Amino acid sequence: MKLTVWTYEGPPHVGAMRVATAMKGLHYVLHAPQGDTYADLLFTMIERRDHRPPVSYTTFQARDLGSDTATLFKESCKDAFDRFQPEAIIVGASCTAELIQDDPGGLSESMGLPVPVIPLELPSYQRKENFGASETFYEICRALSAPVERTPEITCNILGPTALGFRHRDDVVELSSILESLGIAVNVVAPLDATPADIQRLGVAHFNVMLYPETCETACRWLEREYKQPFTKTVPIGVGATRDFIAEVKAIAGLPDTVVDDSRLRLPWYSRSVDSTYLTGKRVFIFGDGTHAIAAARIAKEEMGFEVVGLGCYNREFARPVRACAKELGLEALITDDYLEVEAAIEALQPEMILGTQMERHIGKRLGIPCAVISAPVHVQDFPARFSPQVGWEGANVIFDTWVHPLVMGLEEHLLHMFREDFEFHDDAGASHHGSHTPAAQKRRVVEEKTDTPEPVIKDGVTWLAGAEKELRKIPFFVRGKARRNTEKFAVEQGVTSISIETLYEAKAHYAR
Amino acid sequence: MSPLDLDTPPVLPRGADGEGSVQVQLDPSMKIDTAKVFAVYGKGGIGKSTTSSNLSAAFSKLGHRVLQIGCDPKHDSTFTLTGRLVPTVIDTLKEVDFHSEELRPEDYVYEGFNGVKCVEAGGPPAGTGCGGYVVGQTVKLLKQHHLLDDTDVVIFDVLGDVVCGGFAAPLQHADRALIVTANDFDSIYAMNRIIQAVQAKSKNYNVRLAGCVANRSKDTDEVDRYCKTVGFNRLAHLPDLDAIRRSRLKKKTLFEMDPDEDIVAVQKEYMRLAEVLWNGTEPMAPESLPDREIFELLGFD
Repeated sequence: MKLTVWTYEGPPHVGAMRVATAMKGLHYVLHAPQGDTYADLLFTMIERRDHRPPVSYTTFQARDLGSDTATLFKESCKDAFDRFQPEAIIVGASCTAELIQDDPGGLSESMGLPVPVIPLELPSYQRKENFGASETFYEICRALSAPVERTPEITCNILGPTALGFRHRDDVVELSSILESLGIAVNVVAPLDATPADIQRLGVAHFNVMLYPETCETACRWLEREYKQPFTKTVPIGVGATRDFIAEVKAIAGLPDTVVDDSRLRLPWYSRSVDSTYLTGKRVFIFGDGTHAIAAARIAKEEMGFEVVGLGCYNREFARPVRACAKELGLEALITDDYLEVEAAIEALQPEMILGTQMERHIGKRLGIPCAVISAPVHVQDFPARFSPQVGWEGANVIFDTWVHPLVMGLEEHLLHMFREDFEFHDDAGASHHGSHTPAAQKRRVVEEKTDTPEPVIKDGVTWLAGAEKELRKIPFFVRGKARRNTEKFAVEQGVTSISIETLYEAKAHYAR
Repeated sequence: MSPLDLDTPPVLPRGADGEGSVQVQLDPSMKIDTAKVFAVYGKGGIGKSTTSSNLSAAFSKLGHRVLQIGCDPKHDSTFTLTGRLVPTVIDTLKEVDFHSEELRPEDYVYEGFNGVKCVEAGGPPAGTGCGGYVVGQTVKLLKQHHLLDDTDVVIFDVLGDVVCGGFAAPLQHADRALIVTANDFDSIYAMNRIIQAVQAKSKNYNVRLAGCVANRSKDTDEVDRYCKTVGFNRLAHLPDLDAIRRSRLKKKTLFEMDPDEDIVAVQKEYMRLAEVLWNGTEPMAPESLPDREIFELLGFD
């Protein structure tokens, strides 16, 4: 375990909360000190849910530790049942409470509550949020599902969507419509919006759609063993993956291989457009949860024509497929939950765009590299009001827009930079449609120029002269870092200690050869 | 900045935590609480793996879901069940740099004869490391992947060495220990030592002795004499059949051999043993003999 300022995943009990909050009629009694209640805010402030998570914290304080925290837990359990009347209860301890070893499972069992009580054992100091969600969902399935008869018509369950997931709400809608177009009804979506009663009839379906392996692979595997329900392995993010997913579903359901209706897909429209190739070959760095990172790599390479220069994930559970995918791209995967390592990798690779999480968006901001978000951890802006799935045809459209805009905007910004010092377009020129082209007060400008003059920068014994530094700024920001490093390298090789405009252009000519 | 601990550690009575052992109690989350767990012990080369595999096959024939864990670094415990030497847990963990969360059950659990799940814990190279660590990691993985939740019988096939951690670790998980012996001095002598070790462990763990199996022996007189003296029980007798040896060469359990008269009899004996163990045996508390007395008892002095 490391101390860190930011993390990609929370502790496992946050994963359990994501499942509990997604479901209806389920309550989570969490043995936790007062401070751990902060997690509520993730659901109310980031996801903007209309109710607080169905979680009762025991909120023990320092003085309780001297008396009886076990009784406190039992009382919280009883209060939660009396107040919320849930159909089922899950109990567990937060990372902090795990240390006092009160055994919430055993305690709640001894209370004889009239509803199923499911104990969770989540190793807080070894595993993380996704594991917590996956494990919680598995335990719920195991405890509540029952052997039932299959539906006469072909049905399936969609498993994996949780609260606080990256576009889970919209993915379910898009996926359901695709399944519907194949003539397959959705039996239960879980955990999102499922009740304990819904979980009970999971076995009715003919197969399961493993939408997010991160949160439901354990459950899917168990359901396969227990009820002989096969599950889909392709996550339909991207055009190719969506086609593969449909083929996989047809094979499982025994449907004829008819023509797939992809009329909602707009990507070909762009591909056929006259200027479609100006984004081809852009160098992208991809980082996220394993599933989304792999999906993004495929889209980037096969559907957008980008060059993937880096690929990685933060959840070690999916390190192996990510590594395999990276190997196919001729890369070494970056498997880490340390955002500083990711930042260092991005800085070294200087990609033209990052496809990452909110964490990489911050990194991109610092490094001046555009970023599109493809994966959790989520941010308030990942819960847009408009329909914006990642899976299926509409998902492919949404992804296309999301990825292309930072690049287009990047070009725009470059143009702004280029013309910044043009007599017509400089900062103080005023808007052209105002008809007033008179430059504003010269006084301010002088001051600005003074501060604008770059101090000679000394790095590795090489000095950038003011003129060269100024010239460097004319280079588009997304290749500026590379130009700077190449020039410095060239200067060192040539034994030059100060870089002038001439050195800059000699270096340019040198590397162009 | 923890305060200076002025309390001296408690002085445990000698042997309170097993003979000479100061190890900590089993982590409660590592408990195997749904399946019946058996650990098979015995002198090296006495036929522990043969007994374990055929017993696993017999349990599966009774309709139980069986998991056999080979705890010997030789990793040939389950090979008559799977028909091959499967990769060990430690080999597999090495591949992922000991990041166990990367693994999936199919990476180290292999299905053998009649659906018996087979795991080879593997181990450190001879003379290094700790076999106990390896067994611990294996149980942890099996728990992590919930394989023990869907299992009725777990058989630990333990290595012959009494002093190794790999010997002690399965005892933490087992309900009953079964000792494989032959009708000769060496293996009975080893059994005596094993009884001593298991009894020491049973002070802190739930493990109790179930009894012994006389393996590869025409007669059982010496084994029976020993059992009577120390208050132990012989649960089964398997003759010195060439078919048993041949079954190993063919990489098969006895249940897959051509059913001639001898083989059918041995199959029956394994089935009987499985039934006895499944129905539950009385916990035995034999008093192991001091080395001197066992020499006298078996008349080799």
